[in-house]
Amino acid sequence: MRGARPSKWVIAVPMAALAIATIYPMLFTANVAMKTPREYILDRFSLTSSPHWENIGTAWTSGGMARYFVNSVVIVAAAVVLLLLFGSMAGFAMSHVRFRGSRVLFLACLAALFVPFQVIMVPLVRTMADTGLIDTYPGLILAYVAQFLPFTIYLMTSYYGRIPREIVDAARIDGNNLYGVYRRIMLPLGRPALLSVGVLNALFCWNDVLIALLMAPSAEHRTLMVGVTSLRGQYTADVPTFASGVLIAAVPVLVIYLFLQRQIADGVTAGSTKG
Amino acid sequence: VPIGDSPVLVRSAPAGRTSRTKATGGAGRPYGERLAPFVLIAPALLIILVFRLWPLLLGVNFSFTGDGDQNGAPVGLSNYAELFHDPVFRLALRNVGLLVLLLPVAVAIPGLLATFIFLRVPGNRFFRSVYFFPAVLSPVIIGAIFNLQLSVDGPLNAALGAVGLGSVDWLGDSSVAIFSVVGVHIWATFGMGLVVFLSGFATLDSTLLDAARVDGASTPQVIRHVIVPGLSRTIQFVFVTTMIGMLTSMFGLLFVMTGGGPGGSTYLPEYYIWIQQGQMNRPALASAASTVLFLVMLVVGLAQIALLRRGLKED
Repeated sequence: MRGARPSKWVIAVPMAALAIATIYPMLFTANVAMKTPREYILDRFSLTSSPHWENIGTAWTSGGMARYFVNSVVIVAAAVVLLLLFGSMAGFAMSHVRFRGSRVLFLACLAALFVPFQVIMVPLVRTMADTGLIDTYPGLILAYVAQFLPFTIYLMTSYYGRIPREIVDAARIDGNNLYGVYRRIMLPLGRPALLSVGVLNALFCWNDVLIALLMAPSAEHRTLMVGVTSLRGQYTADVPTFASGVLIAAVPVLVIYLFLQRQIADGVTAGSTKG
Repeated sequence: VPIGDSPVLVRSAPAGRTSRTKATGGAGRPYGERLAPFVLIAPALLIILVFRLWPLLLGVNFSFTGDGDQNGAPVGLSNYAELFHDPVFRLALRNVGLLVLLLPVAVAIPGLLATFIFLRVPGNRFFRSVYFFPAVLSPVIIGAIFNLQLSVDGPLNAALGAVGLGSVDWLGDSSVAIFSVVGVHIWATFGMGLVVFLSGFATLDSTLLDAARVDGASTPQVIRHVIVPGLSRTIQFVFVTTMIGMLTSMFGLLFVMTGGGPGGSTYLPEYYIWIQQGQMNRPALASAASTVLFLVMLVVGLAQIALLRRGLKED
């Protein structure tokens, strides 16, 4: 029924070209990752004759990507759990409980939303160093929580704000105190928003390099993205192994994207139409 | 009798409810219950105050003190004076100007593509998925991928060679490199603007679009007179977030692709801050640069909102 008029097909051609231009660099990199260094130097464009999966193994073990991968998973998981917990608690209180200063607190969170990390990173590094948190897991986790909490609170507050008061009132009549309402009503009802914000925060933390570089520079605590940059120095002459490291860091994101694309888009667009 | 009974019941139920709410909501409720909202907010509030807002004040204060031998001593505006005499920081500011100039392009691309997808170009769902994907990849990954694409004997130059053009040193030529990096940034992030635009389109009044069509309006006319005015909020949002993105999320690309070079030509304030605080061990100078970056963002953001408000109202 969608009568695709000829003009639409004319537009589809450059759009398809752009789609190819978007996909090609990634396929090129994946192909490079499967070549031997010699193959790469001789002809970087042709499809690899036989995929050299051992490049992935080299990056994983000798390149240290295994360690960085585990670091990233642990740090991202901890940061996201804390973000969702603190963010939903604060979002619930700010949207449904009126108390003295609630408005000021919400504005403080909004203000923090507009303070980019680059503006506070110098004093933050110093504070972290003074408290012995620099180059530790808790330090980096805390830095991520601080970085993405205002956004999380903002989203959770606006999501919870759309839940009718009557539901909260009814739960209280049933004998719940505020903590009970939070646990039995708000957490279950907030699941779609929590999933969306959670995935988005996970991507933010997973993809970050600046905060990780500052807060956890040593090889012991290095995250995957910092690991990719260090891999480049380690394998300057071995581009395929470096490309393999890039694949290791990118594939988890691809998998999450394939399954949760809609939730990611929901999170990105949440602030755009209102607020 | 049962019929007469029911209104009483209906009326008494809300009455009972209000009195209950009053009992729990008033001054008489238990101490723990009165404290509950603060307990719920406390962790978030503490973290934001200590790790976001306090450092902002600390940093501004810090920018008026000295580095090295003069550590902590008040030095007035000398950090700022040094900053504006530093040719590298000037390059960084020049590049910020360049970003502001390129901003309309970075907004128009996703806007146009979203319009086509909204108008149901064949394959629109596929295009949407493909375009959005780079936006969720780390700048480190993007940078690494494009280091391969833009190398002197890489695919892009090969493509240029195939159509008979000479090769370009994309990342090694100081007059080209910044455009290469910004181009990659736009390539990598236009998907963000795209999904925001598409969610804006979903709120458009479809009867208005149909009416315009019935009146025989062409696609450009529909875009100009129906879509753009209807999307003013969305356009404003994309402008501001794209600008913030350009000023605060290009570190990964710079770090991986150029390291600020060649000759400092691809410096941005965020990269300058990082170099000064870490490599050069000049935290106070870096704080001054941070403060300038904050002010730049504030001014650019407010100016944009003001300009867009006026521009869109005139439509």
